[in-house]
Amino acid sequence: MPTERSPRFVDIVVAALLILTVACPLAPAALAQTGGTLVIGLDQEPPTLDPHASPSAVTYQIIASVTENLLYRAPDGKLVPWLAESWQSARDGRSVTFKLRRDVKFHDGTPFNAEAVKFNFDRIVDPKFKAGGARAALTTYAGSKVLDEHTVQVSFETPYAPFLNLVASGPLSIVSPKAVRETGDQVHTRPVGTGPFMVTEYVAKDHATIARNPAYTRKAPWSDRSGPAYLDSIVWKFVPEAGTRVTTLESGETQAIYQIPAQSLPRLEKNTGLRVEKTPWPGAPRIWLLNTTKPPLDDVRVRRAINYAVDKDALLATVARGIALKAFAPLTAVMLDDPALRQAYPFDAAKAGALLAEAGWQPGSDGIRTKGGQRLEIVLNAIDYGGGPEPTVLLIQSSLRDVGIDVKLKAQARPPWYEDNYRCATHGPVMFLRSIDPDGLFSLFHSSFVGGNFNWSCVKDAKLDQLLEQGRREFDPAKRRAVYLAIEKLAIEEALTVPLLDDLSVWAYRANVQGTKYNFNAYPVLSDVTIRR
Amino acid sequence: MLTYLARRSLAVVPVLFGVTLAVFSMLFLVPGDPVKIMLAEFVTTPDQVAQMRAQLHLDEPILKQYGRFVVNAVRGDLGTSIRSRRPVSTEIGENVGSTAQLALASMAVAVAIGVPLGLMAALARNSWFDVGSMIVALLGVSMPSFWLGLLMIVAFSLHLGWFPATGGGDLWHLVLPSVTLGMIASAIIARLTRSSMLEVLGQDYVRTARAKGLAWWGVVVRHALKNALIPVITIFGLQFGNLLAGAVIVETVFSRPGLGRLIVGGILAKDFPLVQGTVLFVATAYVLINVLVDIAYAFVDPRIRFG
Repeated sequence: MPTERSPRFVDIVVAALLILTVACPLAPAALAQTGGTLVIGLDQEPPTLDPHASPSAVTYQIIASVTENLLYRAPDGKLVPWLAESWQSARDGRSVTFKLRRDVKFHDGTPFNAEAVKFNFDRIVDPKFKAGGARAALTTYAGSKVLDEHTVQVSFETPYAPFLNLVASGPLSIVSPKAVRETGDQVHTRPVGTGPFMVTEYVAKDHATIARNPAYTRKAPWSDRSGPAYLDSIVWKFVPEAGTRVTTLESGETQAIYQIPAQSLPRLEKNTGLRVEKTPWPGAPRIWLLNTTKPPLDDVRVRRAINYAVDKDALLATVARGIALKAFAPLTAVMLDDPALRQAYPFDAAKAGALLAEAGWQPGSDGIRTKGGQRLEIVLNAIDYGGGPEPTVLLIQSSLRDVGIDVKLKAQARPPWYEDNYRCATHGPVMFLRSIDPDGLFSLFHSSFVGGNFNWSCVKDAKLDQLLEQGRREFDPAKRRAVYLAIEKLAIEEALTVPLLDDLSVWAYRANVQGTKYNFNAYPVLSDVTIRR
Repeated sequence: MLTYLARRSLAVVPVLFGVTLAVFSMLFLVPGDPVKIMLAEFVTTPDQVAQMRAQLHLDEPILKQYGRFVVNAVRGDLGTSIRSRRPVSTEIGENVGSTAQLALASMAVAVAIGVPLGLMAALARNSWFDVGSMIVALLGVSMPSFWLGLLMIVAFSLHLGWFPATGGGDLWHLVLPSVTLGMIASAIIARLTRSSMLEVLGQDYVRTARAKGLAWWGVVVRHALKNALIPVITIFGLQFGNLLAGAVIVETVFSRPGLGRLIVGGILAKDFPLVQGTVLFVATAYVLINVLVDIAYAFVDPRIRFG
């Protein structure tokens, strides 16, 4: 989701200040030990910890090892059993049957079973319940049937292949029905799951604490051992100011932080007392959705020229240094990577110029191209949180000026920014989208999402619609990949977007914190973490 | 005195009425459809949009909406937060203590630094101390609180390791934020104390007291300072508003729970009911505190009571 904040003046100021600071001394090496408390500084407070109600990634960063899913998606993209021992999709693609583990209990002692799964999914689609991202994950959900104590069949009105990936993502993780029924609103701050950690404390605007679940005897799917977590507890502190967050890691007030501003990163990477880890986000990259309906972008040659003209290496060398990779397609490389995608649109200003000339745009006296007396002007819709438009769009502006396109930045607050996107009023925004399944492209390119979230290329293309619908029906992994590859190739061929950067989820740790792992969602799973003393 | 109290209290009513009107109009002054904005992060169906509209009563005539808003606010019902789905009044209740703590501690810091500094500067008028302290005070007035806060963190948390940089709770966590906020307020109080003290020191009664042969220090404290502090009390009330505004920034820099963080979070999340409710609460608190200050003022200065 486009919820990124542009770096503020404060960040820059504190960076300048901290350059003067001395690196912290190394912690003495010692044997790995169990126990201890890990304090992690997060950039924001979650709106809720209820996995079914949250629209926000920060919720799942905190509870990735608190609530568990039926399936687990490993960083390599493979689905493996978790709370379900096995699963079987029906031939018609409209239902999936899960065989559940028999040895699982919720943190409140109640047993996990087929009834619990049914309760969870029914809860998400209940019109009285205000679901977050979970509701979209259960699009066309028809119901769950308890076949026996440990077998459940989940059905959909139409074949729905994305479900298998989505059932392995945070929004569809399983909470205790008893806790939901009996504790009411407390589920927002104390969700009760089955995982190696349980939420023990929540102090608004300050921190959430999760503690080891001593009864966890299973092998977590990311781990190579059975048994409870090593750490006693993890405190997630909410530290919104980036400069402060970085300082707390350097002073040892926290042992880990998330979301490191690009300008602080080199300093942290040089500090031998610290370690930086980067994980690619799944979903759509930071991407410029080109409004294909608004002239001159209704001409595919102009859209292609823009793709050739944007210098992504310059982005990576400056504003995105160390916190992103080059993007090639409307899905990040971790979602779908293919040599054919990587070859599209290398940086080539000459080719861009030739395409623009072919489209009738001739160099003008002031360096901006013209056609029939009209200047080649494009309006880029840019969010401004008060510190000016984000630097990415400034670099786009200068790249395109080099080939004779005058990019006007419509820098505005978020509400009118959205409104313009819905009305297809500008030449498109720069945004990003987090999604664990390639079906995320459905909301980006399906004609039914023009005027809503997020078809802001305003594209209505029968072939694209048909492929996107086919992707939802296709269960065979190889065939499914082929469908989405075809969609991506089509999007690139038609130059519907300018893929800019694959953002990385960046974490920094004190060097003595070891055993950190991440799931496919780029959320940390922390039951194997130890703190050397 | 009673008439003064009654008059002053009644004057609050139109002010609070204006506050409700301003806070209520927020929703309509922001460009775009508020419901769409609030749901912008979700993939939404028209049903959900309609449901949200009905839930916020946005489908009713504006006057009726405003009437409902005021009536509910008077009853203490400030609506439900979109983001956390909890009553706004509960959210405020959880955070008000922390901000009050910060405001009081900052005020204490401001007075403890500002009054002596202003007093000394006035007594040593035109000396290097006077000029130096007023330059410092000028810097203090001009210093943005986020900048001072970050300097404090780097110095006292990162380098010296004396105080934690983040969090709420015990007194230890209160030190850096309250000093940051208090330093800035102290600069204003110092300047005001100085000028007010200089004015009083030039009065006839001070000269008379000195002429009677009273000890110099006794004259300063018992006669001059007592009177010089009257305008400083007014500044308390006004400064309280500045402290609340500063809390928005200081609470964010120091990751401290409080109303400021609540408002910032609400704005970033486009949580209209939360922002409306919290702003209404803070504005009301500000108005009431200024009434209390006015009343206190009347107590210390008879001219106001009888004027």
